[in-house]
Amino acid sequence: MRKLKRIGTYAFLGGAAFVSIFPFLWMVVSATNKSVDVTKGRLLPGNHLLDNFTKLAESTDLWTSLWNSARISVLTTILAIVIASLAGYGFEIFRSRAKDIVFNILLLSMMIPFAALMIPLYRMFANISGTVPAIGIDTMASVMLPTITTAFLIFFFRQNSKMFPKDMVEAGRIDGLSELGIFFKIFMPTMKTTYAAAGIITFMSSWNNYLWPLIVLQSPEQKTIPLLISNLGSGYSPDYGLIMLAIVIATLPTALVFFLMQKHFVAGMMGSVK
Amino acid sequence: MKKVLALFLSCMVLLAGCSSGGGGKEPAVSGGNSGGSDSGSKAEEITIWAWDPAFNIAALNIAKEAYSKKNPDAKINIVEFAQADIIQKLNTGLNSGTTKGLPNIVLIEDYRAQGFLQSYPDAFYDLSGTIRAEDFADYKIGPTSLDGKQYGVPFDSGVTGMYVRKDYIEQAGYTLDDLKNIDWKQYIEIGKVIKEKTGKDIITLDPNDLGIIRMMIQSGGSWYLAEDGKTPDLAGNAALKEAFELYKEMMEANVVKVNADWSQFIANINNGDVATVPTGNWITPSVKAEASQAGQWAILPIPKLPQTPNSVHATNLGGSSWYVMNIPGAETAADFLAETFGSDVEMYQNLLTNVGAIGTLKAAASGEAYSKPDDFFGGQQIVNDFAAWTAEIPKVNYGISTYAIEDILIVEMQNYLNGKSIDQVLSDAQAQAEAQVK
Repeated sequence: MRKLKRIGTYAFLGGAAFVSIFPFLWMVVSATNKSVDVTKGRLLPGNHLLDNFTKLAESTDLWTSLWNSARISVLTTILAIVIASLAGYGFEIFRSRAKDIVFNILLLSMMIPFAALMIPLYRMFANISGTVPAIGIDTMASVMLPTITTAFLIFFFRQNSKMFPKDMVEAGRIDGLSELGIFFKIFMPTMKTTYAAAGIITFMSSWNNYLWPLIVLQSPEQKTIPLLISNLGSGYSPDYGLIMLAIVIATLPTALVFFLMQKHFVAGMMGSVK
Repeated sequence: MKKVLALFLSCMVLLAGCSSGGGGKEPAVSGGNSGGSDSGSKAEEITIWAWDPAFNIAALNIAKEAYSKKNPDAKINIVEFAQADIIQKLNTGLNSGTTKGLPNIVLIEDYRAQGFLQSYPDAFYDLSGTIRAEDFADYKIGPTSLDGKQYGVPFDSGVTGMYVRKDYIEQAGYTLDDLKNIDWKQYIEIGKVIKEKTGKDIITLDPNDLGIIRMMIQSGGSWYLAEDGKTPDLAGNAALKEAFELYKEMMEANVVKVNADWSQFIANINNGDVATVPTGNWITPSVKAEASQAGQWAILPIPKLPQTPNSVHATNLGGSSWYVMNIPGAETAADFLAETFGSDVEMYQNLLTNVGAIGTLKAAASGEAYSKPDDFFGGQQIVNDFAAWTAEIPKVNYGISTYAIEDILIVEMQNYLNGKSIDQVLSDAQAQAEAQVK
């Protein structure tokens, strides 16, 4: 009976695993086939990987786009977690009568969809282009600035800061550490898992960000990877092998970041639930 | 409570301060900008947005080369975006009221053109003095002009043909001549025989894309909207009613292979699952992608509507045109279009040979490249045929909301297939369209 139950469990898990893994498998396999075979639904790996790669590297600015995406994502992630954790920590540790009101207003801002902000934001960046071109439209800064602080991330850090023992702050103060010192030397090392989780979330959303970069970036040399993939699928006769390979390449960094920090990620997410 | 109120008030003041500051600055900024770019009108840098590297972008590169020979100083940036991305960027840019970041020239699909021209009347540059509308295929002028002014330079022809698998129809006992100049009723009958003899369907359709309905009604000189381009013309539209009935008949005759998206559509063609593909000429490269089928294909005139009296064996699906935005650099951009897509006959030969793009400039509709036989299609002079059919496409006004109305019709089509009466279906669609399209 127990054995039977086990078989059932494995069959169910196997089915679920298949459903979640198959698209990835299909993506990787298709990257090695030529377009006609992809549309025919060929499930076996082919020998067109190199062909697809050469074509992709020749017909698009693959390396430029990867580099753009990488520097935007890494910089955004670092800045975002430092700023949001400072804010989250501040909200939790320091006492002020206005802090809950400010925090609630901050949470309310999560309810405004990006589509509503897009046009005013674009207008703002377009206007600033004349005076400060470095942060105007079509620059890396214009992609990063609206995403550096998100209400969600501040909320995430505040929730997790609740687990941080306040006694340690007191101890730090007694031992003569400055407030920033307490944050950088005690809080940050203790909350490593939270930082890992926040880092992964921010990196992924920044790497995959599509709509805002699309709106604000103009020149080909600024393009990020999601924009490049969007272009590949736009023709009358798209090359599906090529598209699949581009998607594989675009997925690798996020997968890598996730697997490297997986252990911390799970712990960090658990922390915020507690 | 008082504190909350105070906070909100101070926020408001802050916001108001920000916005007035921005508004005050704006004229100075844009003034400075246009002043800078006015100098040296011919040597200006222009930016062009288009989609599809194999087609539109390739065509632009040829045009750029031709233009640069005559104007070596011109700096032309060709930027590739997906079509949906261009629409998104244009809408955001035009709505935000700043001209920064907009291109000088943009490619817009004919079905969407009137929507842009009518929603943003001042955003596009009037080309009436730069190109001559009568130089282009008639049917292209409807979507590219507004109130008698010519805003677009017509580009590729979306002329349709019926791509036919010769081996399948011969198996079913037909010759190519049997399928030449037929109507859709005969088409369905032939489809039944082919299905019986070969087991293949005659057509592949995506229920979420009514391209075939659009082809059918345009062949009869009719459209979703009345001639003003604003009033929905669904209930009481005889051609549309006939097209709906034919669609249902086709579905019920069990001669349709349903596909779910573009990749399946292409797959059905390349896998040899269908005997004919009635669609736009831009499908040619996709058909030829399956090289093993060389010699098995032919292209025949599109079937016509049997009961609509003025229906012809020529219609259109897709196609797009170039537009100049009304921003600094517009004169240079207009000059670029006029000297290339607007008049350069030789360049069109080049476009055809190297890109496979069939243009709509009348003067360019002949020449060596047009009569070149295509071995994949058994030596047929396919471009000559397409060019001849282009001239016959009935002119209709696509109006402002082809796709919004099509979304309504897609749902109503399913109701119709499920048994709702045709008149009810069309009058319901009419009511919805009137509520939505204003």
